[in-house]
Amino acid sequence: MPAPPVLEISALTVQRDRRRLLADVSLTVPPGSVHLLVGPNGAGKSTLFGAVLGLVEFSGSIRFHWRTAGRIGYLPQSFAVDRTLPLTVSEFLALSRQRRPVCIGIGRNQRRRNAALLASVGLAGFERRPLGALSGGELQRVLLANAIDPAPELLLLDEPASGLDDTAVKQFEQALLTLKQAHGTGVLMVSHDLGQVRRLADQVTLLDRHVRRTGTADTVLADDLAASLAADAGYAT
Amino acid sequence: MTDFYAWLAGLADRGALPDIFHFAFFVRGLLSVLLLAPLLGGMSHLVVARRLSFFSAALGQAALTGLTIGLVLLGEPLNAAYGGIFGFCFLSALAMVYVKRHASLPSDTLVGVFLSMTLGLGICLLVAVTKRFNIHQVEAVMFGSLLTVTDTDLAILLGVGVVIGLVFGWVYNQLLLDSLDHSLARVSGVPSAFLDYLFVMLLTAAIVVSLKVIGALLVEAMVVVPAAAARNLARTTRSYLSLSIATAFVAGVGGLFISSRLLVPSGGAVVLAMSALFFVTLAIGGVRTLLSHDAG
Repeated sequence: MPAPPVLEISALTVQRDRRRLLADVSLTVPPGSVHLLVGPNGAGKSTLFGAVLGLVEFSGSIRFHWRTAGRIGYLPQSFAVDRTLPLTVSEFLALSRQRRPVCIGIGRNQRRRNAALLASVGLAGFERRPLGALSGGELQRVLLANAIDPAPELLLLDEPASGLDDTAVKQFEQALLTLKQAHGTGVLMVSHDLGQVRRLADQVTLLDRHVRRTGTADTVLADDLAASLAADAGYAT
Repeated sequence: MTDFYAWLAGLADRGALPDIFHFAFFVRGLLSVLLLAPLLGGMSHLVVARRLSFFSAALGQAALTGLTIGLVLLGEPLNAAYGGIFGFCFLSALAMVYVKRHASLPSDTLVGVFLSMTLGLGICLLVAVTKRFNIHQVEAVMFGSLLTVTDTDLAILLGVGVVIGLVFGWVYNQLLLDSLDHSLARVSGVPSAFLDYLFVMLLTAAIVVSLKVIGALLVEAMVVVPAAAARNLARTTRSYLSLSIATAFVAGVGGLFISSRLLVPSGGAVVLAMSALFFVTLAIGGVRTLLSHDAG
């Protein structure tokens, strides 16, 4: 008997100001798999994440089938950090990982853990850098490090590769495969890079406020549709 | 406490302390500043991080209205109208957070509406207050006065400070993470709504117990300027907190001495000293940036 999906969305509808942002969306994310969401801007991809996180009111059902503690890792599409905020990368990572207030200091074990975590996303030695002084790509990698430690059961990634250079994209994809294979993490991810979709996806859903098509990358990204997406939404092929 | 004040006066007699320590009201003012500096200075960086500066100003105005309610409707004494001030400020704070969380308007617009409403009510009630009290007695609450601080006020300040310190030790990381990004806080299990209400309750308590020294119209400065000054120099959260507290402490003690020498309201003197420190740190920060650019 197959393991139940870590995330099961049924007939999800989100409405705001009498406008339907999502209509009757159903999808599942099995453990140890990557489910890619593609679609034009305004298709409701980030709204779907908001509903899963409980930040958006919805009708329908969202069910989690946890095997352990039920940790969700999340990398948001945008993270507007105040550039003058006196908060180091290490302090940011410690916020959700240590009990002691970070304004008193970071424990030795936590410092070691942060260093290893940053090294795993190619940012060794960045512990004392102010969060607000990072470039877009560096910040994205810090957020990725934050999302993947400890290994989550469900990982939500909203355009995780935006702003990353080729080397960082390869590191990110490798980290994702490790999580999926070694920890059985179920991944729900938005991507605007069709090449990446083909490389990573076990399942793809084409979303445009409702599910237009779902299946494997080859079936969903048929040539005509891929070309249409590329033209409509600036997708990289 | 009488023995303690007498002991300090004795030290002043022997020249070990300045003459001003002969006066118990000054010692009480100094003690209140020593308690207020870590309390308000420590809270200020979270007030700025959670974008509650304008909210703090509205709470200061609500305190004035709370005072008039305490005097006119509850019959409280002018020197201890805690029921009216605490009650009205807590209700105003809860209402502001509730409306902010459920309305789609920007939060500063909503706070502006509340501020106008409470101030309007306060001014209307003030007419009734001035029939029973000298307006100069009410000014003490508006601008702060060392003469009005009592031993009971100090005990309340200490108690509130200890409770706030303990609660902050418990939820500090969650508060800061929630200030940065609600969605990241959410996946870390942070109860965002609970923290919203908890923080404004603690802020309200801190503001109300500070009123006698700082005054209703100036208390906003005490929860905003220390963080602003610290931000000019701080690189880490740790230094941000310690510089905020240091700014509040230096400005508090400095303002107190200025107030006692020049006979000006303590709140005004403290806030002026604090503003001066802000510009000093701004200049130091600017020079440091220039030097680092040159070195680069």
